Formats: sequence, C-alpha cells, structure tokens
Amino acid sequence: MIDLNDATQRSAAAAEYVLGTLPAEEQRQLREALHHDLALRAEVYDWQDKLLSLSRHAAPAEPSTALWPRIDRAVKAMVAATARPVAPSRAAWWQRLGLWQGLSGAALALSLLLGVLLVQRAGPDASGPRYLAVLQNPSTQATGWVVELQAGRPLRLVPVAGADVLPPGRALQFWTKPQGAAGPTSLGLVQPGQVLELPLARLPSVEAQQLFEITLEPETGSPLDRPTGPILYLGRTVPI
Amino acid sequence: MPIPPSFDYEAAVLACARGEQFALRALYEREARWLLGVALRIVRDRERAEDVLQEAFMQVWQHAHSYQPQLGSARGWLYTIVRHQALKAVRDPARLQVLEPEALTALSDQMASADSAAERELDAESLERCLQHLDEARRACVLHAFVDGYTHEQIAARLATPLGTVKSWIRRSLASLKECLV
Repeated sequence: MIDLNDATQRSAAAAEYVLGTLPAEEQRQLREALHHDLALRAEVYDWQDKLLSLSRHAAPAEPSTALWPRIDRAVKAMVAATARPVAPSRAAWWQRLGLWQGLSGAALALSLLLGVLLVQRAGPDASGPRYLAVLQNPSTQATGWVVELQAGRPLRLVPVAGADVLPPGRALQFWTKPQGAAGPTSLGLVQPGQVLELPLARLPSVEAQQLFEITLEPETGSPLDRPTGPILYLGRTVPI
Repeated sequence: MPIPPSFDYEAAVLACARGEQFALRALYEREARWLLGVALRIVRDRERAEDVLQEAFMQVWQHAHSYQPQLGSARGWLYTIVRHQALKAVRDPARLQVLEPEALTALSDQMASADSAAERELDAESLERCLQHLDEARRACVLHAFVDGYTHEQIAARLATPLGTVKSWIRRSLASLKECLV
C-alpha cells in the first residue's frame, strides 16, 4: 500500500500511475484518492504532460471506417439512456437487484437503456420468470450483446455495440451452458449486428446463472461440439 | 506527431462536458490514428485495439466534466485514458492471444521502423534529451513500461534483470526525469 501522507511516496506513485507500472492494488488505491485529493491529481496531470511525447514511439494505425460509427452509436445510446426518464412503476426492478454489479460505467449506461427497451417490449402481459444476460468482452468489458429469456417467448439475442467486423472466413457462434452442465450447447451461428430469435426448445434449460457466450469460429461453425476459437463475449443470466 | 497548434484540445473536452457531440468527433478525427497506434502497441491485436479506443472514447464522453484544464493539457488527459484502457485490456487474466505468428512478425517489424523514425525526429525534444541522460537499461525500462505497457515483471524478464532492480531503476529514472524536466 502507498503511504499517501509521505510526499516522496505520493510523487513516486503518481508518476508510476501515469507510466502504467503501479500494481493493481495500489492503482485502485491511487484512483480512489484522486477523487478527493486535488494535490495528488495535480501531480498526475503533471506527469501526463511530462511523459506525453513518449507516445510518439508507437507507430500510428489507421482505424477501420466502422470504428467511428460504432463509437457514435454507443455515445448516442448513453445520451439516450441518461436523458430518458424511467417510469416509476418500472424503475424498481433494476435498483432492487444486483443485476448490474460488476459492469463498467459505460456498459452500465448501455445496459440500462437496453434493459428499459427490453422491458417495454416484453409488455405488461408477460408472465413467468424472466432473465437477462449482458454479454461482455472478457478483456475490455465492452458490452456487445444482451440475451433476453422468458417462458413462452423465443430467446432474443440483441446486439448493443453495433456490428462486429469479422476476419475473412470466420463467423460468430452462440453457445449456452447451464450451471453444472458437462459442456456447452451450440445455439448456431449469429450475424454480426442482427437480432437473433430462437425457440426456447433449442435450449437445454432456462435458469439463473446460465452461461451464454459468443466465440469466433470458422465460417461454417466449430467443427467440434464445443468452441474452438476465442471468446468474444460472455455473461450469465440474472432474474429480473 | 505533427500537431497544428490551431486545434484546441481543452476547448474540445470542455465542449464534450457540455454534451456537444461534434467535439468528441473532432477529437477522434484529430487523434484516432495516433491513439489507435498507442493502443495497438500495447494490446498487439487490431480488433482489440479498436475495442480499447471505443471504450476510451466512451469514457472521454462520460468523464469530460472531470477534466481540469488548470491542472494540465487535455491531450495528456486523453492519452492517459487510452493507455489505461489498453493496460486494463492486456492485463486481464482472461484475455486470449488471437494473433497469428506471421501477423506478430509483421507487427514487430513495423514497430521497429517506427521506433527509429521517431528517434530521428525527436532529438530536439526535451524529454528525449533527459532520457538520454539515463543509462541504456534504465531508459529501456521507462520505454517498455510506457510504450509497450509492460509490467515490472515483464520488464525484468525482458532485460534478464532482478525484479527489485527493475523497480528501483524505474523509480529513480522517474525522479531524475522530473528533475531534468523542471
């Protein structure tokens, strides 16, 4: 732990925070302190500017043309999510439950928007247990898709962040694995950026903590009865 | 990185804080290829580097109100967000390396040439001048940490140097850079 009352340790920690070498625990401690410690924040800003020109050592890379539209959609969704008042009768479910724990702020805003849309779509006549799974990239925590499940209705897989751009000859494959199951069950290939509906009968079960994931596979899908490529998104169902 | 002085980064971030979406686009158009380069160097995978940039721009939008122009430049603030997002992505234990071997070779070739080009350009820079005051191994520590996003442990392995030595080299290098840059 950093002794933030010790001037030398504070300065050293501020520098290493910007450099990127603080161990995870100390980084959390420093980030927490930055909220209220203006002098520490000033040191961090100072190091940001001191070290900025080292960025030139990385060669520039041209973003794909799809990147800005993706960012733009995500930002517009955040704006819509924060501007849209949630009807009081429906506000309670997401405040009451630990549904959104562990999501990053950006993912949270997106997820809330999606949640509101899904709830509205389900309508007041819907009955039986309902579940949502927010599928996130395991590295970046970026939210990519949301799964909605309810007895008597088809499963809906809804893209959040726009269409994934796939390498040539590859496809997205959708899987599920109930808790305690020996292995995953394939739910077939998914078109990037498109809503998928599946009859519930295709699923081995519908329950809380059920794992859903999307992996990158050969064009015709995994040749095996399990994923062979990297996991792009995954998440577990929570009751709503 | 030729940056025309006419672009006002501070004004752009403050405009984002007021909810003006065109300002985010202006920042993107001005900096995206440099920021993607920074992220790509750390995560070493194009697709993931673009995900990093998307997350980072969403954070810029969300946290623009917390940027304090009196404390430092908006560019420094922006690059820190992108670098921290890239470090977060690359240090997640669940991450998967998806680059094919040929792609990795191509990437490191490209990096090597960028390095020498950058070095030629930067002789006059004060930071580079101060870096030159450090001995070669210490300079390598700072660059591996900042540019490649390496941890203390990765640097120690790369330089075949004990971890404790690497930690103290980095700490002392930063202290002498601070003194030199005043």
